[in-house]
Amino acid sequence: MSILEVNGLKKVYTTRFGGNKVEALKNVSFTVEQGEYVAIMGESGSGKTTLLNILAALDKPTNGIVSLDGRDLSKVKESAVSAFRRDNLGFVFQDFNLLDTFTLEDNIYLPLVLAGKHYTEMKQRLTPIASQLGIADILKKYPYEVSGGQKQRAAVARALITNPRLILADEPTGALDSRATDELLRLFSEINRKGQTILMVTHSVKAASHAGRVLFIKDGEVFHQIYRGNSTNEQLYQKISDTLTMLATGGDRR
Amino acid sequence: MKHSFYPKLAWTGIRKNKRLYTPYILTCMGMVMMFYIMSFLTSSALLTSMPGGDIMQGMLGLGVRVIGVFALIFLFYTNSFLTRRRKKEFGLYNILGMGKRNLARVLMWESLIIAAISLGGGLVAGIVFSKFAELGMVNILRAEGSFVLTLEPKAIVQTLLLFAVIFFLILLNTLRQIHLSNPIELLHSENTGEKPPKANWFLALAGAIILGAAYYLAVSIENPIEAMVWFFVAVIMVIIATYLLFIAGSVAICRLLQRKKAYYYKTNHFVSVSSMVYRMKRNGAGLASICILCTMVLVMMSATVCLYVGTEDSLRTRYPRNINLDVSVTTLDRLEAEPVEKVRQLASQIAREHGQSLDNVLDYRVAAMVGYIDGGRIDVDQSSIYTFQLSAYTDVWQIFFVPLEDYNRLMGQNETLDPGEVLLYTTKSNYEEDSIALGDGEPMKVKKVVPDFADNGVDAMQMIPSMYIFVPDFNKTLQPITNVANWRGDPVIELHWFYGFDLDGSDEVQVQIQEELQESLRQLSISGGTSWGGDDFTVSCEGVAKERAGFYGMYGGLFFLGILLGVVFIFAAVLIMYYKQVSEGYEDQSRFGIMQKVGMTQKDIKRSINSQILTVFFLPLLTAGVHLAFAFPLIQKILVLFSLTDLNLLILVTVCCFLIFAFFYVLVYHITSKAYFAIVSGAKGEPA
Repeated sequence: MSILEVNGLKKVYTTRFGGNKVEALKNVSFTVEQGEYVAIMGESGSGKTTLLNILAALDKPTNGIVSLDGRDLSKVKESAVSAFRRDNLGFVFQDFNLLDTFTLEDNIYLPLVLAGKHYTEMKQRLTPIASQLGIADILKKYPYEVSGGQKQRAAVARALITNPRLILADEPTGALDSRATDELLRLFSEINRKGQTILMVTHSVKAASHAGRVLFIKDGEVFHQIYRGNSTNEQLYQKISDTLTMLATGGDRR
Repeated sequence: MKHSFYPKLAWTGIRKNKRLYTPYILTCMGMVMMFYIMSFLTSSALLTSMPGGDIMQGMLGLGVRVIGVFALIFLFYTNSFLTRRRKKEFGLYNILGMGKRNLARVLMWESLIIAAISLGGGLVAGIVFSKFAELGMVNILRAEGSFVLTLEPKAIVQTLLLFAVIFFLILLNTLRQIHLSNPIELLHSENTGEKPPKANWFLALAGAIILGAAYYLAVSIENPIEAMVWFFVAVIMVIIATYLLFIAGSVAICRLLQRKKAYYYKTNHFVSVSSMVYRMKRNGAGLASICILCTMVLVMMSATVCLYVGTEDSLRTRYPRNINLDVSVTTLDRLEAEPVEKVRQLASQIAREHGQSLDNVLDYRVAAMVGYIDGGRIDVDQSSIYTFQLSAYTDVWQIFFVPLEDYNRLMGQNETLDPGEVLLYTTKSNYEEDSIALGDGEPMKVKKVVPDFADNGVDAMQMIPSMYIFVPDFNKTLQPITNVANWRGDPVIELHWFYGFDLDGSDEVQVQIQEELQESLRQLSISGGTSWGGDDFTVSCEGVAKERAGFYGMYGGLFFLGILLGVVFIFAAVLIMYYKQVSEGYEDQSRFGIMQKVGMTQKDIKRSINSQILTVFFLPLLTAGVHLAFAFPLIQKILVLFSLTDLNLLILVTVCCFLIFAFFYVLVYHITSKAYFAIVSGAKGEPA
């Protein structure tokens, strides 16, 4: 059963004085199945961020339907959107978005506290996640005391702790060095193997090459997609590179 | 158009940062206005010409200096908020190729614009309101004033000069800051990470203990003189304790709360408590200052208002009757002889000539001495008084011996005493022993402590407590010491006859009677001097009508000063809060953005913000209220020294002051929280 269905998505931004209209998304349709690991690639301005914002219910589409677990996002009441987001979606951001006034532990607890969970339950949930992500020793530290990779792993823990239906990752490796990137991508694959559905938006071919399927967006439309099939990461990497080259050079179908 | 480029840039800068500059400019205007008004009042010729006006102007002259210094400190402080916020903008200009020299020119224009607006607006407002202030003061002095608007060039020049210097200094300071920093720093100056504050348990505990001690001191002191001495000690202790508690104590409490997992990990507490730690670390000192400022304003306002409202009471205590005569003689027999009778006759004769009768006549003999009382014995020698320690101050008394018959007559009582027995009445303090001896004489038994006796001005003028001893046989009791001299050679005991009476005529008539009486008395003592034994007879004559203007000048001046300074300080306290909140709003913007992404609802955010602003805002006010409540017994005792004994009045005035203060406070709270919400929610629309 597909967990996420995106159908005929369109988003038009109107500039402040109502003059120019900018079409960020023209017509985007795709589905994500339970347990899939999907990467969405595209150049700057191709509409990636707009798409992610709409999926996260942070923004509303001009047209089209997004449904999560068969539930239409536009039908979720305004007052319930935050709770919906908290319960069903986990976020990993490029710039981590950790609160500097909290320890890593408290940062991870934040969504659960907002959901009104009890401390003992939170603690129980955190223990396995923290050891899996290798941050059990630094939970009491503050964000400014740890490295970027550690921060991002704490952010992943925060996304995982609510047992979300879907994890949305926005350029998760964008602010990391190559070692931390490798480590994070390994973790993502591992989490995915345990059944967690992940949707990742990225620039990085390397990041995308860890996914099970790669979607390419160009000019507000899904232009192409590649399934991993039986390829290794390296083979997928090559395929993605080729596709990107084709996209950039004369490979335009129109 | 190179010439208009810099002014234009400066003007845009100010307009774009409206939220920061409007309050700043308003503050500047307010300060200019207040300073002008004060300065105007001190140099107003109209006031100088009024009775009591010169005293009042002397009081206000003090206020001018206070406001001048305060304006400098305060404007510097508020300007630092502005500079901090704008560093990023300057950094950008710098990177875009504007040299520091160009930046300086922009800043100079900005300062010029701000100075022009605030001086212009402030002076206009000042000139308008100075008229009201002047009328207010004229009213306090109980005179008539004209409604002609007057300018005081001297005051204008003084104001212009002072604020020109202040603005110049502020400009220099800003330039210095810009000059010392490099562009990258300028760009990033706002978001430098900071360490989580550590709780300093020792300081927090010290603060609590010192505060407790100060409170205990304030409540336990019984004696007005002790109150005067210890008041400043208590004030300093409270100031130290407030700083310690706000800086260390608040963080410690937050840390404690964080340790209680069941409390901490609740939606309502989680965000608030953890941000409060940082907030208190950054603002602890500021909030403590505000708290102390508030307390000072409240104490000052309630005391001065109370003094002013109670002026008539004080006058009555100081001058028990409209006209007060005090005949001083050297031997006991003189008290009943010719001079006394002559004075009585003169007074009623002069009053009759003005068609007045003598009412409420106060007529009694008294022997006065200053005594050091030790173990129920009045030390007649007096040498010990001049070597005593401050701590023994409470044992020094002003002692009055009054014949029992005079007591019975004046108070309408019918007390009887056996020889060796006395009645006692004390002011400001209590006498604990049950007998009292005069020098080496036999101890006299205190039969009863009576609740009241006629006021006399001496008690009102002194800080030390008074003791009235009513004796059955006046002459016999005092005979042994009438000729004793103290170590300086002056007689230990002074013999007086008090004669006072009320008149129902207007103040003018009373002054006239007093002057005629004084003249006749002067001639009496010249002509009768020899026949009565020369210089052993002096008489003084005081009238309340003549002194009233002076009293109103002083208490009214204090009152006016209290109100004006109170307004300025409230203004300051409230503005500091505003700037604190607004600048925090910018810092919190991103934080609340993140929380929203993680799933915090708009409602949660509002609730969390509300609880934080409420705490930050009302913690100082509440603490000030508690301080005031504990200071109350001390203030009350000190005001007793100013012959103000109306406890209900003091309570009423204090509560009113607090309420008025709280009202303004709440008003600003509303404005501030609105601005804060606007800033914080400004982040919500931005994409991830």
